Amino acid sequence: MTDLNKHSLETEGLTKAFGGVRAVDDATVSFQEGKINALIGPNGSGKTTFFNCVTGMIRPDSGTVTYQGRNVTGHAPHRIARAGLGRSFQLCRIFPRMTVLDNVLAGVRSKGLVHRLRGAHNPDDIARARELLARVGIEHLERSEARDISYGQQKLLELAGVLMAEPDTIMLDEPAGGVNPALIGRIATLVRELNAEGRTFVIVEHNMELVMSLSDHVVVFDRGRPIASGAPAEVQNDPRVLEAYLGV
Amino acid sequence: MLSASKHEESRTHPGRSVLVMKLVAAAVALGLVLAFPALAPDPFILSVGVVIASYAALAVAWNFVGGLTGYISLGHAAYSGLGGYGTALLITEAGVNPWVSMVVAAVLVGLAAVPIGIASLRVRGASFVIVSIALVLILLLVAQSWADVTGGSNGLRVPRPFGTDVLRPEQHERFFYLFVALTLVALVLWWVIDRSRLGTGLKAIREDEDKAQALGVPTFAYKLVVFVVSAFMTAMAGGMYALWFGSLDPIFQFSILTGSYLVLMSLLGGVRSLLGPVVGAVIVGYAVEFFKNQYGDTQLHLVALGLLLALVVLFMPDGVIPWLTAQFDRFRPGDTSIREVDAAQLAEERKALEEAKS
Repeated sequence: MTDLNKHSLETEGLTKAFGGVRAVDDATVSFQEGKINALIGPNGSGKTTFFNCVTGMIRPDSGTVTYQGRNVTGHAPHRIARAGLGRSFQLCRIFPRMTVLDNVLAGVRSKGLVHRLRGAHNPDDIARARELLARVGIEHLERSEARDISYGQQKLLELAGVLMAEPDTIMLDEPAGGVNPALIGRIATLVRELNAEGRTFVIVEHNMELVMSLSDHVVVFDRGRPIASGAPAEVQNDPRVLEAYLGV
Repeated sequence: MLSASKHEESRTHPGRSVLVMKLVAAAVALGLVLAFPALAPDPFILSVGVVIASYAALAVAWNFVGGLTGYISLGHAAYSGLGGYGTALLITEAGVNPWVSMVVAAVLVGLAAVPIGIASLRVRGASFVIVSIALVLILLLVAQSWADVTGGSNGLRVPRPFGTDVLRPEQHERFFYLFVALTLVALVLWWVIDRSRLGTGLKAIREDEDKAQALGVPTFAYKLVVFVVSAFMTAMAGGMYALWFGSLDPIFQFSILTGSYLVLMSLLGGVRSLLGPVVGAVIVGYAVEFFKNQYGDTQLHLVALGLLLALVVLFMPDGVIPWLTAQFDRFRPGDTSIREVDAAQLAEERKALEEAKS
């Protein structure tokens, strides 16, 4: 088993304000390596902004982000992605006018000009992309344009694209948002399988049933900072969490 | 299962017959293009052919940025103009061989495109369009005011590369082939990039730049590479035009209208397809010359072109080539989302489903 206290992704005093609103406010968080971490909290508690600061989409005002011992604060998103930190987006983002196969191929890692001038449809890349499409269960759609497949299928496609980039840690922003129960089950199974292969997950999710059943470690956000963290059962009964959610 | 995978194969590899048909069509088209000088009835028509061929080279060069990244530049005349003036000045001031001048000027423009790209590719959408227009306007003012070097509005004469004993029609013919060759080089380069991993990254940028970057695509570097390639190829075409036309005037060299023509051509032909800009250049180039001939010195040819653009946007928003492909595909079997199975396969699938249930 992995060391419980091993942290691959940590933030220290992370802060980001929009005008007068501190969306992320002095957040010091650590996620456990090799585990499924969940990040929960009421709407507007800063979860997505936190995600964006960590993955480089937004530059934080202050604080640091450390990934696998390296300070990656303020690095460009593609550098953070190439360091092994992949992510999905809250409202599922895919490349609508590219085929399903090309959507996955866009995630391929390559280095240097020679590698990059290699045909995108080379047998190695295609085989890997098909394997990932088969894994998420939409291999029969590889020739469709991504805008023509259903929302649930697009979510699976986004995950396949993220996997193509060979991440060690995957951050999912509301993977169960707007999808039917059967598909939620499929996504949960996929996350478990991928985790069993050694990938760390950080999941923002509002579906509590899913969070409690899936995650090993839960961090609760309120007003831009963590107010509690621990095993799902512990967090569930924490008075601070109940207050944040129910306003008791 | 076996039959299903076979089905998959035939879907992913377009039939060999389609490939052969495409190659034959390309060979016929190229044959017609190469035969054009021999078929042209008079030197005027031949000169229109040269203009169209130069537009084709420029439009394909434009499409490196416009088609692959979706960044629409209205100011590409900046690079063709600089290429033209660079070529002319290298010949007249430094006594360099004309063809060497053309290449050296294009390399210099490519180098200049690095800082220009670094500055302008930071902004997207409408802002990028405006920055591109600003550049060409600045260059127009500079070229007009700096008369010591550029000749200002009096123009700058460019010596003919083939000497005076080669007659006009002969000149036109040679330049027609040169422009066709330049267009072919640009097409090959575009094709290589389009089908590469780089090309997939660029198309991802066109679709959703932030998402592409989140996947690990170094978006800025990718955009800069095609921007520089585009500026270089545009400058090559501009230099070649200067050698053919023999005189340069800032108002025509650094013209927003030229940039707009390139956008119109590419949109009309289809920015996502290899040959889109070429098809667009033939249609728009011919239309421009035709309307100019019809309406003389009035500006009515611009009105006519505007109407053409409106019609394209209304009825073929993706351009002529994708529209034609769609019409063609309607009469082709297969390629529906409904998978056809025969009774035996259906029974097999049902059996598998039953087994899974129990």
